[in-house]
Amino acid sequence: MTTLWDTTGKEIVEALSAERRSTGAVAFGLVLTLVAVVDERNVRSAIDAATTASMAHPCRTLMVVRRQPEADTPRLDAEISIGGTGGPGETIVLRMWGRLALHAESVVLPLLAPDAPVVTWWHGEPPPHISHDPLGVLADRRVTDSAAAADPPAALHARAHDYRPGDTDLAWPRLTGWRSLLAAAFDACPDAAGPVTVYAERKNPSAVLLAGWLGPRLRSDVAVEDSAGPGITEVRVAAAPGAGSEVPLLSVVRTDGRTAVLSRSGQPDRTLPLPRRERGDLLAEELRRLDADQVYAEALAAAFSLTELNDRPQHRRHVWRDIAEAPSERIGEFLPGVSDVRATGGHTDPSTVEETAREMLAADRADQAKAAAAVGDTTAAP
Amino acid sequence: MAAAGYTNPLRDARDRRIPRVPDPCALVVFGVTGDLARKKLLPAVYDLANRGLLPPGFALLGFSRRDWGDADFSQLAMESAQKGARTPWRDGVWERLAASIRFVPGAFDDDEAFDTLQQTLIELEDSHGIHGNAAFYLSIPPPAFPTVLKQMQRTGLADSGDRGWRRVVVEKPFGHDLASSRDLNQLVDSVFTADDVFRIDHYLGKETVQNLLAMRFANTLFEPIWNANFVDSVQITMAEDVGIGSRAGFYDGAGAARDVLQNHLLQLLALTAMEEPVSFDADSLRIEKVKVLGAISLPSDLHAYAVRGQYEAGWLAGERAIGYLEESDVPADSTTETYAAVRLGVETRRWGGVPFYLRTGKRLPRRVTEIAVTFKRAPHLPFPVTDTQELGRNQLVVRVQPDEGVTMRFGSKVPGTAMEVRDVSMDFLYGEAFTESSPEAYERLILDVLLGDATLFPRNLEVEASWRVLDPLEAFWVGSQPERYRAGTWGPAGSDAMLRRDGRAWRRP
Repeated sequence: MTTLWDTTGKEIVEALSAERRSTGAVAFGLVLTLVAVVDERNVRSAIDAATTASMAHPCRTLMVVRRQPEADTPRLDAEISIGGTGGPGETIVLRMWGRLALHAESVVLPLLAPDAPVVTWWHGEPPPHISHDPLGVLADRRVTDSAAAADPPAALHARAHDYRPGDTDLAWPRLTGWRSLLAAAFDACPDAAGPVTVYAERKNPSAVLLAGWLGPRLRSDVAVEDSAGPGITEVRVAAAPGAGSEVPLLSVVRTDGRTAVLSRSGQPDRTLPLPRRERGDLLAEELRRLDADQVYAEALAAAFSLTELNDRPQHRRHVWRDIAEAPSERIGEFLPGVSDVRATGGHTDPSTVEETAREMLAADRADQAKAAAAVGDTTAAP
Repeated sequence: MAAAGYTNPLRDARDRRIPRVPDPCALVVFGVTGDLARKKLLPAVYDLANRGLLPPGFALLGFSRRDWGDADFSQLAMESAQKGARTPWRDGVWERLAASIRFVPGAFDDDEAFDTLQQTLIELEDSHGIHGNAAFYLSIPPPAFPTVLKQMQRTGLADSGDRGWRRVVVEKPFGHDLASSRDLNQLVDSVFTADDVFRIDHYLGKETVQNLLAMRFANTLFEPIWNANFVDSVQITMAEDVGIGSRAGFYDGAGAARDVLQNHLLQLLALTAMEEPVSFDADSLRIEKVKVLGAISLPSDLHAYAVRGQYEAGWLAGERAIGYLEESDVPADSTTETYAAVRLGVETRRWGGVPFYLRTGKRLPRRVTEIAVTFKRAPHLPFPVTDTQELGRNQLVVRVQPDEGVTMRFGSKVPGTAMEVRDVSMDFLYGEAFTESSPEAYERLILDVLLGDATLFPRNLEVEASWRVLDPLEAFWVGSQPERYRAGTWGPAGSDAMLRRDGRAWRRP
């Protein structure tokens, strides 16, 4: 491991290539760069998750830790490690002080693996508008975690309004086990489904998404009810109205966060593994696909009664926001991952979020139309 | 079984997060106490369960001649799975799997045992909702096939009726020559329908073999040079460091050519040489493979281009290895080969004139399987001869095992003031760029059987086409003595001479 104090981006690039040469990892099959935005308290847990993920997808992980953006002198520290305990990939922890934190991309850009996709992951509370964070604008895939927000459903709501193809939220891979099980249950269940109820811990964003996924597909009303948790505890599908049956068509119950019981009318109960997954596993699942997840977009859209998320432009225009203009308690919205300010979140008025998101979308659409006009493609023009 | 025309509203082709999970079904393993079942099948079933790829109603049935109950079998399965599984051990997963494990004791000619088996499957229909879906894995010696298949016919085990499916999985060898493989195919196909017969060639379940197709047909880089204009020769190697172990009963009399060349090597050749299939489904792939297998030609001079060998005592990896004739149960005058090498041609426009050198052997220095495509030299080298002395031919090597990946070899300038060109290798290691837990070949293949996806299974036409290649070779070898080679070396001298005759040399894998 190489540690550099008060360094520059250039020195990091040189130290990285020296480290690669000395460990013999010159022809490393890097398939992507993972940029993790994380606050100082969570660096360890973020590294653990990235390590698990990099077992499956060896990548270069750039941990961006933003500290004290109001500090007078900018400063950059870096730790470089290749292989070893950090998994088969390369990990570089970048700590940025002062106004450098606003320009993290200037350090990150030269460190991206050549011509490989970039995935940016916000470990903590996601920014309401990714366009405000240049680290999100430069990424091909963006992974947020609305469950880390103070008000998860509100954060997911912001994700929906701010959505661009290539965004996903960890609330979605948390559902994969549930969705697989429900899909398998419906493989042999041609009976029409009635109303659906999802029981989950209060303010569980995954439950909201699950409702958004199930509703349009089953053509049923889906209600989300609170339960004691952990996470989602039950999905109950009633028989279609008029089927003359009070017995639910099927239900999946998981109260211990590990095993689920699938009950179906006229069949014996079945116990199946349905464990809650570690963050590293979720991240690995996200890294598996680097294109837009249309099914996620549809579920997200349905959950918040939006339409056409899949038709939005891929591209985002960076919107510069100076922290000097931000009230100190809301700095986290401008600069995600800042640890020295109490992450508050949930303060932003939803209607403001919607309004800003709409403006940003309009700007991005205009950019897209301009680009399309330049190549003579009239179909993309609004 | 779902009603016709029903599509699951929760399934979506774009949803690649949800894995394909088979319908509720039973996997019936004959010969479940055998080597293969313990080392590969049972661990693979556990791994599938652990990855959540088995359906809610899944049952595992063992059939064997042991006086056992469910619990004994369950114990064996647990030990095997713990020893061989690739995914971490989880008691919870095992307990659920163990609850669906059944054992039916009996000999293959025991009518009563098969009636019990049939009865057990019917019971599972109620308790597990398997709807008649069952796959039968015949992990048994080939001579037992007819007995078992006839039993299945008699009891109606092979008959799926109007609901569910019944499939059968057959391991190699698929016969010992064209005639016997035809008989076997006829027998299996008469009990099951041809589409329900899955012949396992576990090499085809390996990631790299599938990647060979991705590499050839998903890229523009390789296809233009994948022909006789650019390719000088192809070498396909499957080397094993082990001897025959306890397999003398099967191996002696069969030999390396029937054991490996006929199936694994010819399948690898077919995948390397075939034309692009119109789509990536089982039928289209088979059509192309059969075409290329049918175009394979044997050299007219078999004396010079077909070599067989037999290992004698030697040292391998620091240990003494006994010779083939000293192995237990091998007759002292056995002429069975443990090494076979042959030069084949593929008579198509794409490959006319390109030799395909195939070799396989036991007790070679290390275990390795690879396909090496050697390209022609540049028609003109603008450098002085001395500068390019160390420049070989460009090579593309697909490593099937171990260290799955691709190596490309090309010339590069040696740093320094002189213009000196030397070979360098560029390595792509599968495990490095992608997941470390890529599924084991058997896992993938068992899952495919349960899903009914036949893409990775050779069909009987392919098997017969392969025997058509091998039969003349075997006929030529009858009565001849295999050349001796010392254990721990890369095969008999005749094999090296065979390539030297063509101005080439075997690649050291």
